[in-house]
Amino acid sequence: MGDAAADYLNDRVAGRHPDLAEYIRGTLRLDLRDGGSTEHWHLTIDRQEVRVSRSFDVADLVIRADRGVFDRIAQGREHVAAALLRNDLTVEGNLELLMTLRRIFPGPADARHPRDVARGGSR
Amino acid sequence: MRPHLVHVLSGNSFALSDTQGDMEVDPYAPIGLFSFDTRFLSRWVLSVDGERLHALSRDELTYFETRFVLVPGTASHYVDSDISVIRHRSLDESFHERLTVLNHSVQPAEYTVRLEIGSDFADTSEILRPAPRRPVVAADSNRRQLRLRHQRDEFIRETLVTSTEPVAVDEQGMTFQIRLAPNGEWHTDLVVATIIHGAGGRDLRASLQSHREHVHHTMNTELTRWLDRAPQLVADRKSLESAYRQALTDLAALRYVPLTYREPVPVGGLPWAMALYGRDAMITCLQTLPFTPELTPATLHLLASVQGGQLDDYHDEEPGKILAELRYGEAAAFGEQPTAIYYGAADTTPLFVVLLDEYERWSGDGDLVRQLRHPARMALDWLDEYGDLCGDGYLRYQTRNDLTGVANQIWRNSPDAVADRDGRQPPFPRATCELQGYAYDARMRGARLAREFWDDPAYADRLEADAARLRDRFNRDFWLPDREYYALALTPDGEPVDALTSNLGHLLFTGIVDPERSAALAAHLSGPELFTGWGVRTYATGQRPYNPVGPHLGAVWPSDNALIAAGLRRYGHDAEAARIAAGMFAVVETMGGSVPEVIAGYPREVTKYPVRLPAAGRPQSWASGALLMLLATMLGLRPCGDNLLVRPEIPVGYGRIELTDVPGRWGRADSFGRERPPGRTSPRLRGGQSGPGQPHRATAG
Repeated sequence: MGDAAADYLNDRVAGRHPDLAEYIRGTLRLDLRDGGSTEHWHLTIDRQEVRVSRSFDVADLVIRADRGVFDRIAQGREHVAAALLRNDLTVEGNLELLMTLRRIFPGPADARHPRDVARGGSR
Repeated sequence: MRPHLVHVLSGNSFALSDTQGDMEVDPYAPIGLFSFDTRFLSRWVLSVDGERLHALSRDELTYFETRFVLVPGTASHYVDSDISVIRHRSLDESFHERLTVLNHSVQPAEYTVRLEIGSDFADTSEILRPAPRRPVVAADSNRRQLRLRHQRDEFIRETLVTSTEPVAVDEQGMTFQIRLAPNGEWHTDLVVATIIHGAGGRDLRASLQSHREHVHHTMNTELTRWLDRAPQLVADRKSLESAYRQALTDLAALRYVPLTYREPVPVGGLPWAMALYGRDAMITCLQTLPFTPELTPATLHLLASVQGGQLDDYHDEEPGKILAELRYGEAAAFGEQPTAIYYGAADTTPLFVVLLDEYERWSGDGDLVRQLRHPARMALDWLDEYGDLCGDGYLRYQTRNDLTGVANQIWRNSPDAVADRDGRQPPFPRATCELQGYAYDARMRGARLAREFWDDPAYADRLEADAARLRDRFNRDFWLPDREYYALALTPDGEPVDALTSNLGHLLFTGIVDPERSAALAAHLSGPELFTGWGVRTYATGQRPYNPVGPHLGAVWPSDNALIAAGLRRYGHDAEAARIAAGMFAVVETMGGSVPEVIAGYPREVTKYPVRLPAAGRPQSWASGALLMLLATMLGLRPCGDNLLVRPEIPVGYGRIELTDVPGRWGRADSFGRERPPGRTSPRLRGGQSGPGQPHRATAG
């Protein structure tokens, strides 16, 4: 689990994301801090296509956090909005792009479909 | 809200004090200086020579500016005072207070002016019992500064108070030793900055494009421009003109620039709802399209950008769902409340599509419809995939967050709001009737958008077929033939919850009602069980749960009534609509000031005066918006092709009403209406010569 974010970014992010709105275009850089070093991931979003590279290029939105925070996001254990409010994740640039992470990274693994909850009977 | 509190407000920031301008913690009211859901000042108390001050007068100059004129001592002996103190308070990005002390004596004088300053950094959700926090306080007399800082892990909120005049600063406040010449004066300017730490220890908002790009006009200029852009109202009844101006001003006050978008959007309202609520914001937009259309694209864009992306039980999130509530306080940050981004609402998602379509009808902004195709399509898909919890075609709700989720995820959001005539609350998931109306309307409007803008006629056909099936099913399953109205809700087993409520008006508003049944609904809505004389009760008398002060079990909401009146006119019940509008205008006329969020459901002839509920706030966006919508409904404003159609139905006693420069796809257009002379019946919609009570095309302005 030590490299959840890096693994996810490597394996699962590049490509087409039909959940992203067509009009969203822009670049994001994820700066994963790990002790003294920082790993940079650069994402380009254009018409539902996401390109991923390891680069320090400038981006419309730069998101910085400890690797552990990104790991939790990649595992669906952390909502980016709450991490931002706690200041565990800091941002610079166009924050409209932040919520694209919610479409690129997964939600909680144990989340239920509302219909399944409804079938389980009323409270 | 207690009536003797004084506020200044700006966006999602506000300061609430007593009539002297002092702020002291009160468990039952959010007193203090608040911004982004955090209390940055909980103590702000002025004294002169150890004596508290008494207010002689107060000028509420604008919504963001107030002036208190004070003298030392209590009411019994203030007349002898040799000095007076003026507190001139304003709020924009920061809180400002100019303290002025005037010496009325011909002798020089020396005084000790003391301001006690403190903050508990309470979250807006914990005013009743703020959590104990130990802010770090740094007093710096050289810099004339007091810094209060609360830190929990990386979460840091800071209050920085600075004085322009020399001052002795200690950890509990600031002390000024002042010397006044004969008839002289002294003043200092205090600035209170409210800091939310973000990247690099700077304020979070400083790092965001949305906030850098937002042009900061001075508050006065901004307000003047806002009022100038809105249509001008000329009415025989002058109280209507002042109420109109007040409503516009309230809407200006209750806008804030969120973190994730560059244009301002409406917050719910003072004092408990100074945050973005998807429902309140979209209803406000629907109400204000003929007046302040700029609120709508900003709201739609923002809601699209935070549209649900994943399944998440805690936040009641599903892909495509539109936001319920967005807050920035500590409780949200640390997950004590799901409000960092909460989706617990079943009506916001269809309303998103309804608003997008309605906005295009008024503005002609097809580009926005094309741009927001994907979010709108996701919202429509949500209706089928996630909203239909029992698989029977009805939109329902049931929270998946049993601890802190909202139980009733509809506009009647109090816990006991959904009950049958005998007070029995149905099990979850609940299918309330207005949700079916919204879902029907969203599909019909989505079909128009798909056909005209998304080049997808097959999808349009499918939506229309789904809508038609829903309408048939609804008119079969919800209709109570013996009572001649639609049930409030269906249980999971499809049993009707038989209460008579104001939701009937929402059904008329959405068009789901079988036209043959509308007259029965109009009779209920204007009958004595629902209509108080001021407006329509949420819940009719004669049913066990009825309670005139129950917010959703008998009280009267102007926002609700605006939709009801519009719904009545949609089905041609013009006289009933006019009665409601007249009742609502009378509430505002009688109470003065901003439209209240909700009033008690007592009959008008009993109380003679609208009775406010203790928890009711004002101003509230959708209450102020309601006044505008009622006005538009009385004038019968409607976009029709590229023209503004006007079909007035002016209540008796209102004479002539002129609304000029109504913005829309026609540019600007003028409208007018006059109350019909007694004895004339309602005209049928037809072309031809315009005149009082008859339809006419607006004249281009």
